Amino acid sequence: RMVALLGAMTLVLVAVAPWVLPVAAGGKNLKSYQKVEVDIIDDNFILQWNRSDESLRSVTFSFDYQKSGTDNWIQLPGCQNITSTKCNFSSVKLNVYEEIKLRIRAEKENTSSWYEVDPFTPYNKAQIGPPEVHLEAEDKAIMINISPPGTKNSVMWALDGSGFRYSLVIWKNSSSGEEEIENIYSIHKIYKLLPETTYCLKVKAALPMAWKVGIYGPVYCIKTTAFLKRNPVNHSYKWKQMPNCENVKTTQCVFPQNIFPKGIYFLRVQASDGNNTSFWSEEIKFDTEIQAFLLPPVLKVRSTSDSLHIYIGAPEQSGSKPVNQDYPLTYEIIFWENTSNAERKIFKEKTDFIVPNLKPLTVYCVKARAHTMDEKWNKSSAFGDVVFVKTKPGNASNIWLIAGIGTISITILAVIYVVKVLLRCINYVFFPSLKPSSNIDEYFSEQPLKNLLLSTSEEQIEKCFIIENISTIATVEETNQTDEDHKKYSSQNCQDSGNYSNEDESESKTSEELQQDFV
Amino acid sequence: MSTKPDMIQKCLWLEFLVGLFIAGTLSLDCNLLNVHLRRVTWQNLRLLSMSNSFPIECLRENVAFELPQEFLQYTQPMKRDMRKAFHEMSLQAFNIFSQHTFKSTWKEKHLKQIQIGLDQQAEYLNQCLEERGNENEIMKEMKVDEMKPSEARVPHPSNLELRRYFNRIDNFLKEKKYSDCAWEIVRVEIRKCLYYIYKFAALLRSK
Repeated sequence: RMVALLGAMTLVLVAVAPWVLPVAAGGKNLKSYQKVEVDIIDDNFILQWNRSDESLRSVTFSFDYQKSGTDNWIQLPGCQNITSTKCNFSSVKLNVYEEIKLRIRAEKENTSSWYEVDPFTPYNKAQIGPPEVHLEAEDKAIMINISPPGTKNSVMWALDGSGFRYSLVIWKNSSSGEEEIENIYSIHKIYKLLPETTYCLKVKAALPMAWKVGIYGPVYCIKTTAFLKRNPVNHSYKWKQMPNCENVKTTQCVFPQNIFPKGIYFLRVQASDGNNTSFWSEEIKFDTEIQAFLLPPVLKVRSTSDSLHIYIGAPEQSGSKPVNQDYPLTYEIIFWENTSNAERKIFKEKTDFIVPNLKPLTVYCVKARAHTMDEKWNKSSAFGDVVFVKTKPGNASNIWLIAGIGTISITILAVIYVVKVLLRCINYVFFPSLKPSSNIDEYFSEQPLKNLLLSTSEEQIEKCFIIENISTIATVEETNQTDEDHKKYSSQNCQDSGNYSNEDESESKTSEELQQDFV
Repeated sequence: MSTKPDMIQKCLWLEFLVGLFIAGTLSLDCNLLNVHLRRVTWQNLRLLSMSNSFPIECLRENVAFELPQEFLQYTQPMKRDMRKAFHEMSLQAFNIFSQHTFKSTWKEKHLKQIQIGLDQQAEYLNQCLEERGNENEIMKEMKVDEMKPSEARVPHPSNLELRRYFNRIDNFLKEKKYSDCAWEIVRVEIRKCLYYIYKFAALLRSK
């Protein structure tokens, strides 16, 4: 009996041997794992157990992982001795961008086997699970609010929050045709539906940048409401009222430019007649940068006799400094003669050019505007201010101008010459030179006579003194000289002024004549 | 006989010119978008640099996030990869500034502006990703891919360097429980990223 029992046990052991592997706490002695497949969906490891469902009953699994390069196996919390093949690791601070190794222990009754997964990077292996969908119906539209897959504290998609794109398939419950809407964001509205109809849809998520597509979620169905019913619940979803555009009676609304910071916005409109309010219209996308007004350019014009030299400058803008210079623009310039209405139009891309072949001495009017060279956003500015400029006189006049300049310069030279001559005359008359000419030197070699002639100031003086009466001594001076020394002159030099007046005169005249000869 | 190769040459030359012309007209759209991209990136950089005073006490907590440097070398064939990387960078930066636990060291308006700006930046970077880089194009291709059996599908592992970098930043914020100092440090780091994007956008001018 003992032998039989032993034999049976060995038989059982032999039978069970393929599944039995030495189990050690540290795991160092574990060898010859069997490979197994594991899927990752969102934050879950899902074991691909390729046995029949029969063997899945009463099997417990435990998940361990090991960071590549380290030796120790770490137990995944919440995934020890569980009965499901799914292990959620969102509570673990797992770095999903680093490579890890995974091993799973399958325990059934008293036997356990270890399975190991080839090393992998969780993020690369992960698939996107189904997203959560919330629907709201209007009369002709359905509003869809999609939550990204995984929980809010998802480890796998922690950095992908804004990268998700969704696609959905929608169909009428009653008919068979289905429509696919792709590449939508988490809040989307489907328009142009029929009122009071049941629509069903299913949604899947995708991460284009990571080249991942998820699986479809469950089907959701909703019925659109009756025609033009007032929307009872106000889901603002962070929509804000546009200033100046509340309860306007026209179909146009002007809102100030600086209300919002620059960016990409969505606009929508709602109508009301006092009692009933319609649903919101379709939303249009509005990019303040691209669709903003183009300011008109600034013109500077210089004229010659037969052409205009035009400079186009950028309009004054506040802020935005570095990029305006290379904005690809085409300029449309219109100009006409002030007296006529015939306009001429030219298109230029350069900001500095010449308009030739114009008439001289004519007033021209010039205005310009800018166009963007974009196919999608065909945008033009308004016309800038009109510039009036007169062309200069023509070429014939130029010759006269040259001649005029010539004559002026010649006259100036002539005037200078004449002035020079005049100055010389004046100098000669009023400021004669004191040096005698060389002729005098020849004729008058006698020094005293020379001196006599030269000392003109002294020549003018002739003093006469009469000393007759003892009783009365009268001094007659014919000159202004008051110098006391002259009193001692002898009377030989002069005559009595009364008797010899003629002689006096002739004498003085002679001396004067003498003087005059040598001026 | 000798005129034939001349004719061929002429034809080739003409084709080349036509090709250039077509390429020129097609890239008009992107030229305009690049202008906007430069402007928006510059604005974002300025927004992040506004509150310039970095508190000294936060210097202690400073940590190196190690921005991956490979894609920062600008060479012509790499331009598309760079653009893709910067697109992802913009999205990640937007992600960081959308976290609700952001305390009001900045004003609310400021934060809104930077979020809008980063969104615009990502949009402009995405729109001109030629060939298979554009999000729309990728979605279409993935759809085609789905039809194929799983063996024929080509795996596309993501460029994880950038993700690891932003993961470090994210973990840092969580560890420090979104403190003021942590936000200041992260702001400086994102500013560095934006600076690279701006340089790239500026280089796009010289085509």
